[in-house]
Amino acid sequence: MSTNMVWWTIAIYIIIALYIAYLSRSGKQNNMASYFIGDRKLNGFVSALSYSATTYSAFMLVGLAGLTYKGGVGAFGFEIIYFMGVSLVAFFGPRFWLVGKKYGYVTPSEMLGDRYDNKMVAVVVSITSCLFLIPYSAVQLAGVGYLLQGMTNDAIPFTTGVVLATVLAIVFSFIAGIRSVAWTDSLQALLMIITSTVVVLLIIKGLGGLGGFFDLLKTDQPESLTVPGNGFFSFTTFLGLTIPWFFFSLSNPQVSQRLFMPSSLKSLRYMLMGFLVFGFIYTIVSVVWGFSASLMFPDLANADLATPKLLSSDLVPPILGAIVMVGIMAAAISTIDSILLTLSSLFARDIYGNLKNETDDQKQLFVGKVVIPVIAILAFLFAQLEVNLIAVLSVASSAGLIVAVPAIVGAFFWKRGTSAGVLTSVIGSGLMVILFELTNIKPLGLASGIWGIVVSSLLFIIVSLLTTAPEKKANEFLSYIKTELGKLKTVKTK
Amino acid sequence: MESREWKWGLVILGIVLIGYILPYTLLTNIAAWYGSLLLWSLLAIMIIIVNYFLTKDWGE
Repeated sequence: MSTNMVWWTIAIYIIIALYIAYLSRSGKQNNMASYFIGDRKLNGFVSALSYSATTYSAFMLVGLAGLTYKGGVGAFGFEIIYFMGVSLVAFFGPRFWLVGKKYGYVTPSEMLGDRYDNKMVAVVVSITSCLFLIPYSAVQLAGVGYLLQGMTNDAIPFTTGVVLATVLAIVFSFIAGIRSVAWTDSLQALLMIITSTVVVLLIIKGLGGLGGFFDLLKTDQPESLTVPGNGFFSFTTFLGLTIPWFFFSLSNPQVSQRLFMPSSLKSLRYMLMGFLVFGFIYTIVSVVWGFSASLMFPDLANADLATPKLLSSDLVPPILGAIVMVGIMAAAISTIDSILLTLSSLFARDIYGNLKNETDDQKQLFVGKVVIPVIAILAFLFAQLEVNLIAVLSVASSAGLIVAVPAIVGAFFWKRGTSAGVLTSVIGSGLMVILFELTNIKPLGLASGIWGIVVSSLLFIIVSLLTTAPEKKANEFLSYIKTELGKLKTVKTK
Repeated sequence: MESREWKWGLVILGIVLIGYILPYTLLTNIAAWYGSLLLWSLLAIMIIIVNYFLTKDWGE
């Protein structure tokens, strides 16, 4: 693939994306709710595409395809179990949305702080999110660097790719806050799914159609169609990967914050259903992608090379290869800019807003905007350094974020939950996850994420039972939800 | 939780459990497209259908 063609494709993508970001500016983004959650007025279509683009990073076409290359169909199962976990949105979505609107929450941790009646809950949960998500963004940035470098045979150096991704993520966040992020996300989601589907169809055609494709798999590598197959996906590995990801839609603030944004429950429904259809197609495409690479290039030294190899193969026209490559870059950026915006809102609202006296919405918004480039630059610096801890934290991110899940579930379903319970469970099990990842310990052969959810649930329940619950707040919060959800049914039966 | 939510929640739990159990038991030796690949695809489609019904009442 010529460097020139790559640059031109990138340039065209940037122009279109900037134009869309510019168009997205509507109204004045002069308060926190407007800048960070679009005044709770996002329509279903944009919500669905943006949710998809934020969730699916460069991981799918590079990481999941690589995982399929390495371990076969188990990679598909892993992603499908995650997919099933998105059903949690059907239970938690309306609850988040209702209380968000009533109490004016901008961030999920703000909600927890209010529900458990303790500001420190919001502070601690936000700090945990930053701790695990900044390194995760750094890995995404580095991914763009490696992709451009690999596809152009070093003509575009690693740092150029990383700088490009960082700058674009900042710009998309800055132009109109969540509005520009959501609209550019939508463009990127469409680009991702259309181009990658076309590539997969071309490759399958090249390999002799669907029948030929499966015959080849069956004869060349039958073990790739079963689990544990070649042994990569042992049941404990499968559990360790899937359990943290099952809870992704609750544990990751950049997606759970989106439950506050749709304009109505109908839009929220559109977001969920749209995402499920998108996710199902994209998962199949990414897995078939990995299988194709394993048939065409069975002996790669590194599974992460599967995608670059496939894109530069004879079956894919060079221009399409370049477009898909930009699509993967866009996928990474659409994840980073959402994380960037969410982390800035967490910092401004929950950390600055709670630790500093006399802040108001305007001051928080100012801090939030100032923090966007600061967080981006932190992620950029992390991406440049190849320190062991960063890799550890980013691998641990899904496991580390899971420690807040019991507190989130408890907020809606357990009156007895207390702030002491939340603080002990989040801090205690968060430190435990980091320790397990750093020292590579796997007690009973189970991964840190499984221990994370088990230990944080236990700590939350035990400490809550030993302390006094914020009864008044809990009753008010829960009875409001109950009444409103009850109304849904009444409207229906009328 | 509403009774409707309990009902569909149990259905989802069932689908998830099948997604964990069958591929590692009955299907471990079926090295073809109609093995685990098909099962997980069908379960995913069932999840889409369940969510469709679960969220049917969500209005304006």
